[in-house]
Amino acid sequence: MKDKVLERLKEIEDLPTLPEVVSRIIVLAQAADVSIRELSGIIHEDPPLAAKVLKVANAPYYRCFLKDIDSLDRAIILLGMEEIVNIVMSISVISVFIDNSRGIRFKRKQFWNHCVATGIIARSFVRELRAKTAGKEFVGGLLHDIGKILLDAYFHEPFMDAYEYSLENRCPLFMAESRIFGITHMEIGYLLALKWGLPQYLGDIILNHHWPDRARFKDMVAIVSIANLLTKAGNYAYGGEKSSFILSDQNGWKVLGNMGYSLDRLDVERFTLSMDNVGEDVDSYISTASGDDEGR
Amino acid sequence: MDSGYTKFVMSEEEFRLLRDFIYENSGIYFSDNKKDLLETRLSLRLKANKLKDYKEYYYMLRYGQQQSREIKALYDSVSTNETSFFRSPPQIQALQEYALPDVVNNRLGRGEKVLRMWSAGCSTGEEPYTMAIVIKEVLKEKFPEWDVKILASDISERALSSARRAEYNSYSLRSMPDELKHKYFENSGNTYRIKDEIKKLVELQYLNFADSKRVGLMRGFDIVFCRNVLIYFDDVLRKRFVSQLYDSLIPRGYLFIGHSESLHNITRAFKLVHFPGALAYKKE
Repeated sequence: MKDKVLERLKEIEDLPTLPEVVSRIIVLAQAADVSIRELSGIIHEDPPLAAKVLKVANAPYYRCFLKDIDSLDRAIILLGMEEIVNIVMSISVISVFIDNSRGIRFKRKQFWNHCVATGIIARSFVRELRAKTAGKEFVGGLLHDIGKILLDAYFHEPFMDAYEYSLENRCPLFMAESRIFGITHMEIGYLLALKWGLPQYLGDIILNHHWPDRARFKDMVAIVSIANLLTKAGNYAYGGEKSSFILSDQNGWKVLGNMGYSLDRLDVERFTLSMDNVGEDVDSYISTASGDDEGR
Repeated sequence: MDSGYTKFVMSEEEFRLLRDFIYENSGIYFSDNKKDLLETRLSLRLKANKLKDYKEYYYMLRYGQQQSREIKALYDSVSTNETSFFRSPPQIQALQEYALPDVVNNRLGRGEKVLRMWSAGCSTGEEPYTMAIVIKEVLKEKFPEWDVKILASDISERALSSARRAEYNSYSLRSMPDELKHKYFENSGNTYRIKDEIKKLVELQYLNFADSKRVGLMRGFDIVFCRNVLIYFDDVLRKRFVSQLYDSLIPRGYLFIGHSESLHNITRAFKLVHFPGALAYKKE
């Protein structure tokens, strides 16, 4: 079925596209000599987007600074361009799919909760690690499962079969996909990342979040893989995989350890308990990204 | 509180004397900011013994004729008995869906059909009886083939005798699925009596966790529940006791502590295991 899937994907003309502004921002961000004014100007071409970026930068779950950041220019100065571009990507991609009626039909709320929870947990985890990742972990967490949306939208029946299969057999969804499609959500998501021209680290996260040791951007992928696991502990899992695990035995954990992160001093228990409140943050982010809280 | 209740005021000196006495004998530690709490709990003992202040009470505990009886009453007063069936449901679910099936497989792999559990700090019995119910639910028709025993220990004799009575009100059963209530309790009015098939799996026993010799005899458990106990100890006892809990488990056994407790600063001997909404520690 793999070839059929790939062929069909090529044929599909209404594959979702990123808003033009966002594509330009991504290209611009990769250029060497970008000024704050340029970046700010281009984001301001889409006023709702600019407002959402500010809202996320000020949200407690993102928690950049204690004081409110009141303008986009100031946000760019304080957070840096890279981080702002990452926030833009996180919001835009989610908006594309949340607005797209063609989008996911499968357990939609549960799916987005899982993605957003992964992003938020990845962000707090990075804070615990004291790593400087400029928001890559956040957008990476949000987008790691993007391939599932395509599978659901364009291959709905077999995808549902795979979903049921994973629940019945308590196996990871990608194993069920591989059995039924011969291709996984990671591979399909990766194709979309290429098509959209998303930064390479995002493609890497999308493709390798189940095997961080195979990744090129190892620490980023490992962080997202750990956040993805931790969503299971907080009941934000998606799919049928068995939800009990020993963190210190996980591939991502070992990758970070080998890279010199001092994981031993992390209070994993306290960190896990702090996730009890992640639900509110998830709701808050989703209403910001989908524009439901406008004017509030 | 009843209208005839008078709270005796405790001086700093009296607080230190009593606090140290309680700590030496039970390991339960009242830090400096817990004076109010100790005052509230011991006022009733002063009243019951018709004493005029805490110093008299202290002498009674140290040298009085009724010393050992009063020490038991003291333990009843300073230990906390807040508990219920299926308390912290995600932990019980983790026991039922993951930990118990895992230790059952572990035993089967060794060619044994034996299960040993310990409810350390069992209070009035809700926890060990919950464990017994869960075991029956997991083993189902295989249950009769297994040799199952749950040791339940506490420092409070009063709590233990209440556990022995095994009668509960509906509030105590509030987190429990209705189906299990019907299955494992005899109900009359607001009283639920645990059925003998469950009761006989639990062996109740007095145990003071500060008595390291006796705690050291605890061995061979697949799963230990010791929830909301460590918070009453100071660091020294906490470390010693947790290492004894570790020794009490067989390899691949699990330790569950209170939902909001952590061993992060106490030991790294265990592997931390994540379950949905709950954590546990595994001995390897």
